[in-house]
Parts: sequence; structure tokens; C-alpha cells
Amino acid sequence: MTEATFPQCRISAERLLNPETTERLLNKLIEVPGIRRMLLNGQRLPAIIPYGPAKGLANPHPMRRTIKVGDQDVELQVHVGNVLLELEDRDAIPALKAACESIFTDFTFRIQEGRYMKTEPSLVDYCKYGPNADKEMLGLADPSSKSKPVILQGIK
Amino acid sequence: MAYKPQYCAGQTIVADNRRKQMDPAHKLEKLREVSDKDLVLIMGHRVPGSAYKSAHPPLAEQQEPACPVRKLVTATDGAKAGDRIRYIQFSDSMYNAPCHPYLRSYLEAYRFRGIDPGTLSGRQIVECRERDLEKYSKDLVNTELFDPALTGVRGCTVHGHSLRLDENGMMFDMLQRCILDKKSGIVKIVKDQVGVPLDGEVKVGKPMDSKWIKAHSTIYHSLVGTAYRDDAELVEYIQRIHSLRVKYGFMPKEA
Repeated sequence: MTEATFPQCRISAERLLNPETTERLLNKLIEVPGIRRMLLNGQRLPAIIPYGPAKGLANPHPMRRTIKVGDQDVELQVHVGNVLLELEDRDAIPALKAACESIFTDFTFRIQEGRYMKTEPSLVDYCKYGPNADKEMLGLADPSSKSKPVILQGIK
Repeated sequence: MAYKPQYCAGQTIVADNRRKQMDPAHKLEKLREVSDKDLVLIMGHRVPGSAYKSAHPPLAEQQEPACPVRKLVTATDGAKAGDRIRYIQFSDSMYNAPCHPYLRSYLEAYRFRGIDPGTLSGRQIVECRERDLEKYSKDLVNTELFDPALTGVRGCTVHGHSLRLDENGMMFDMLQRCILDKKSGIVKIVKDQVGVPLDGEVKVGKPMDSKWIKAHSTIYHSLVGTAYRDDAELVEYIQRIHSLRVKYGFMPKEA
């Protein structure tokens, strides 16, 4: 479980990000030392339409594709709106800001510091997932989900 | 002196645009030419060229009861023919879309006959007889009420109106019913309003530029357009309504 002392921040831009921009941003971010966890937040883009009259049809969407971050393939499942980060310490924030400034040249962005991921399991988490839930994933995604987080090689 | 409707309060360009759209005497500016066939495709209720299905026999063939109201009110073409009730639904981005749900219902009530509008926070549906609907939807899509990037014809999965636009300036659509062709800059509709893929594509033209959007917006937005609080007359009007409503349960007289 995340220690409550780890700082967290959120990068949000004026526009929802295209996969190409997300790819460039993440490749800049991973060069910054001191990022523990990262979550891409946004509107979900299901591969199959889940409800409505077109339920069950394929849903090709140009914003859902596989991007390359470092040497890992990351399959985008959302139209990225925010990037949530958990850091080792606050010293990384100026470097994050510099990375964002080099990417977001056509529109504005902001980095906010706050609490964006769960720091301890709630009663509901315990009821839903029991005591053996994957604690790294708690608060980020459904711990019983079969999709696993992408591990990016750090540069620490 | 004859009564002259004022439509809505306000001194800003936004209020002015709202009045224009609601006023049936104001001719809506025509900006694009989406054909009847393409509109039928976008709505997806019938195959283009096929006969209208009916819910009852034509009025002329029915024995109608002697009714003074029926004598006063002329039936619309769709009602005369006994068409089914069908719908079109729109989502309007909060980022300066040229129309919005409440206004749509108002303007449709002023401009069209035989309709049943439904207003929700992020979408607006209008139901009426099928052939009337096709006539009205021409006005709704081909005129200044519509912008290819900021307005969506969405029968379901409508969310997107309150989200940030994407980098191309398009409103979010989970089903990606319309696609911006980056080369030509034209928006193409590739699915009908409920998300079923079309055989072809319907071109609805280029998104309007930001100058036009700002000049034709009917939405107050403090970040990307005119702030509500900048409109002193509208704020005064709303405060008065609020005050009267709280004090007298909306009795239209002041103490």
C-alpha cells in the first residue's frame, strides 16, 4: 500500500490528449527520476460497444491505440485527460513541469499537487476484494482485473 | 400597442444570439447542405427511399369525431399521413457550441409544430412524426444551430458535452460517430445516431472557426467565452425570478 507521505500530483492539459501527444509526454516523463506510479485517467474507449442499440459491435476509435513508452508497449484504453503521478519526493516536480512545457506548446496545462490515489484501503475495498487484493493496484484500477500494470524500467 | 415578445433577457452577444434563434421571424443562416438522403442515414430510422411506416391510417380515411379543436388546428403532414413518431437527439459541447439543450427546446417550440422536445443537461431530444422530423432536422443540421465539431447527433452514448475538447477541437464521442479528416479539414459522419456504422460516409463540412464560434455562441462560459456574471441584465432578471419564487412560490405579483 502506498505510504501516505509520498507526494502525488496531477497533470491536466486544456485539451484531451491524442495518443501521439501522450506518447511524447510519457517518454519525457519517464526521463524524470523519482516517479513511483503513474495512472492515465480519462474517458473509457471500449473495443466493443457495451450498451445501446449497437451493443456488441466493434468500436474502432483513433484515440485508442498502442503507444510505445520507453521500450514497453502500452495499450491505451482511455482518451487521456489527466496523468496522475506518485513521486518519491517533491524535488521531481520542477523537472515534470519542464517536461510538460516542452510538450504542451499549443495549449495550456497545469500541474497540481494533492491526493489523487488512495493511500489506504477503504471498507468497501475490503468487502469487494478481501484481504489479498493486489495493493499496488488498489485505488488505481479494479484489483481483480486481469490487466496488469505496465512496468517501466526506472533510471534511478 | 401590440405585444412584442422579448424571448430572453440579457445585453451580451450570447443573449442576442439566443433571442435570434428563438425568434421565428429571424431566418436562420444556412451554412451547409446535407441532403435529405444523408439526413435519413444519420438518423437511421428508415432506409433512404423506403416508404414511411405508419402508426394509424391517414386522417382522411378515418372517421374523425366532430371536434371544434380539430377544426381549429390543422394537422401536420406527418399526422395527416399517420406516420410513426421518431426522434433526433443532439449533444452540444459546453465549449461554445452554437446551441444548447434548453434553447433547442425553446426555439423548436417557437419554430416547429407537432413536436415533443425533451430537455436534459447534456442532450436534447425532439420527437415528432417521421416526415415532419425530416423536415425539421434539415433546419437543425444545415443552419447556424449546428457545428460539425461541437454538436453531435447522438441517439445514445451522448456523454462528451461537458468534457474538454480533444486536440483536434472535436467534442469527445465514445462511439466516434464523426471523424475529422485532417487533410481536407472536413468532418465526416460514419455512424448513425445510435452508433451503427453507415455504408458510406456523410460529409457535414468544416468545423466553424473560433471567431465564428465566439460570435454565434449561446452558452455563457467564463473561460472560453462570455461570462454569465458579465451580463448585468440577465443576472438582475434571474435574481428577481429567484426572489419572487422564494417569497411567493412564483406568484406573479410583488408585495
